[in-house]
Amino acid sequence: MSDRDGPGEAETADPVERPDERADRTAVEGDDATADESPTPGTDEREPTDVAEDEAGNEAGAPDAAAAETAPPAPAEVDIEALTGPERTLHPRVRYVWVLQAAITGVVFGVMAGIPGFFVLEEPLVGPAVFLLVFGIGATLAVFRYRRWSYEVREDSLFLDRGVITRTRTVVPYVRIQHVDASRGPVERAFGLATAVVYTAGSRGADVSIPGLTPERADDLQDRLKRLAIAAEGEDAV
Amino acid sequence: MSERLSPLSVGYRALETAGRLGWILIFVTFGSTQAGLQTWQAALLVVGGLLAAGLYQLVYWQRFEYELTPDTFDIRSGVFSRRTREIPLRRVQNVDLQRNVLQRAFGLTEVRLETAGGSDTEAQLRFVTEAEAERLRREISRLKRGTTETADGEPAPEPEAELLFAVTPRELLVLGVVSVDLRLLSLVTVVLPILAPSMTTGFGPMQDPLLALVLGAPVLAVFIVVTAALISGLYSVTNYWGFELRRVEDELRYDRGLLQRFSGTIPLSKVQALALSENVLARRLGYASLSVETAGYAPGEGSGSQSAVPIAERDRVLALARSVESFEEVTFERPPKRARLRYVVRYTAVALLAVVAAYAVNRFTGFTFAWYLAFGLLPLAPVGAHLKWRNLGYALLEDHFVARGGFWSRETRIVPYYRVQTVIESATVFQRRRDLATLVVDTAGSGGLTGSDARALDIDADRAVELRALVEERLQRALDEARADRRRRRLVDLQRTDTGGFAGDPSPGDD
Repeated sequence: MSDRDGPGEAETADPVERPDERADRTAVEGDDATADESPTPGTDEREPTDVAEDEAGNEAGAPDAAAAETAPPAPAEVDIEALTGPERTLHPRVRYVWVLQAAITGVVFGVMAGIPGFFVLEEPLVGPAVFLLVFGIGATLAVFRYRRWSYEVREDSLFLDRGVITRTRTVVPYVRIQHVDASRGPVERAFGLATAVVYTAGSRGADVSIPGLTPERADDLQDRLKRLAIAAEGEDAV
Repeated sequence: MSERLSPLSVGYRALETAGRLGWILIFVTFGSTQAGLQTWQAALLVVGGLLAAGLYQLVYWQRFEYELTPDTFDIRSGVFSRRTREIPLRRVQNVDLQRNVLQRAFGLTEVRLETAGGSDTEAQLRFVTEAEAERLRREISRLKRGTTETADGEPAPEPEAELLFAVTPRELLVLGVVSVDLRLLSLVTVVLPILAPSMTTGFGPMQDPLLALVLGAPVLAVFIVVTAALISGLYSVTNYWGFELRRVEDELRYDRGLLQRFSGTIPLSKVQALALSENVLARRLGYASLSVETAGYAPGEGSGSQSAVPIAERDRVLALARSVESFEEVTFERPPKRARLRYVVRYTAVALLAVVAAYAVNRFTGFTFAWYLAFGLLPLAPVGAHLKWRNLGYALLEDHFVARGGFWSRETRIVPYYRVQTVIESATVFQRRRDLATLVVDTAGSGGLTGSDARALDIDADRAVELRALVEERLQRALDEARADRRRRRLVDLQRTDTGGFAGDPSPGDD
């Protein structure tokens, strides 16, 4: 299958759930605003740029250590409750992304099989047949994959549950997050979706991606994970 | 006060470059028959090549500077495009020194610093003198430990090195025997098609290919196995010749190698996982090997360079492993019996496939033989399944997750919860049918390519869910403990500073 195995993001298909979500997001944005405009003691100089940097700062100089000692470590003041959320499913549009990707793969395979099929076997139907097969499988998987996909921003870790043929559940402790990307491929852009990619230092599944997010949600998730990672006060990741 | 590489390295590197270019020269000189070069032309090319290489290396040497500061290791290098690199010392995972025969003749040593990021070696000094290499290693260790000079400005004395392990000739012999790498046999697939025709025609009277195969195959097989055994055995023996492992404060230090000397440090504070491996031969003899993984190496790179103990009696290896990570007695839980059934089915399918393939070859190609002999594989399937199942196991210890697997080469991985990166629980369609799942506990170790993560294969699905939660919970617990510990230390530091000491005060009680 051509589609990335990546996990998708869970925007609930269920329209009833959406307002809920939105409310959640605005809450986060509100939090954001306070942090940006009037730096609270919590989030001040250790502007949450990068986890690694933060760690380095944390460990490095004595002055910093002193600061962290007198006032309990700043990140601890982040309101974790506001950042976590219930289990989410992906945005339903992600199915179209996957179906389109399946179609593209189908065309590639169809052409690859169709050319020898046409010229050698003199059977013009080979190409279309292969296309239909690949596309059919891909499209079916897309539907099931969407149904299976869910993610949850928990208190200590990001939890992903996904996979049709091989079902995979991944736990990514925030403490281990190295950085978070929000990316948008061409097909995703066409459908107005984005993917959040979470990187850890692990040797396998070093990157965990959540597809099928609206761009705002991807940004929001990126921001939340960033804050949670900082709040987790990771020491040496490796 | 930045330093340069050893001046001798210019000569060595020039020779090295010239050596590489030499192939092209040979090709140019002798390869083209029409435009064959005169001898003097060839000589000119060689001399010119050497000169150019020498000149380039001279500039390289001139423009390569490094400096060890209290916090970082800085390198400024590059002939055409300049690069400045600063490596924070606390991020350094490993410091490796190596020198081959030629370099030893020149008195040169290659120094490599590894950090966890990226796939390349972060700093590679080619080459410095042996004394300088030693100095760098000592200084980096010292700076990382954070001990500064004593009050009167004298450098702190080099801490005691405790010899943990030295390989004995007997162990080397065992190593040579057990490290027969069967993977070398895969060469057979390459060599056999080349040799096969000459074999069948070579034995004049044996026109019957079956007869030739029956007689020739064992001879060939024995020959190949013996050669492979000799090569891989010799390789490991020279590689681990004179292996010694020492513990210096919180670092392990090893030295090894007959022709090419390797020596390196493994910081204990960066250990990600331990892997105990025993292949089928070593198990018979009661030997095992231990590797200590840090995140410093890219997957698949530095084959065996982190091997803490190449071979030793099992008990000794376990004792050493415990001195690195103190884990208690391990009692393995096995996957349920239905997992074994799964392997029976799988191996039977493979055997049947082999039968079909043999039949197809017999039927559709000119090569006829007793294809039905392939049925002999079928009874092996349950045996193989049982052996696989028997060697699987996992255990949750107080501070470690342990997983074991593999019959031919059994590997036991010990992962401290504190080092867990992600926890992955997965179940394929086939596993779900039998209500099984696999749990992978991923670390930042360098196991990588061989898929040697700590994983509990084919365990009960519900148990897998339970384990996933448990491992995560214990990771958080370990993190909490570490955090509390860190705060306590900081507090101690602060108090010390407040009571009139200064930041760099040597602190004997700093633990």
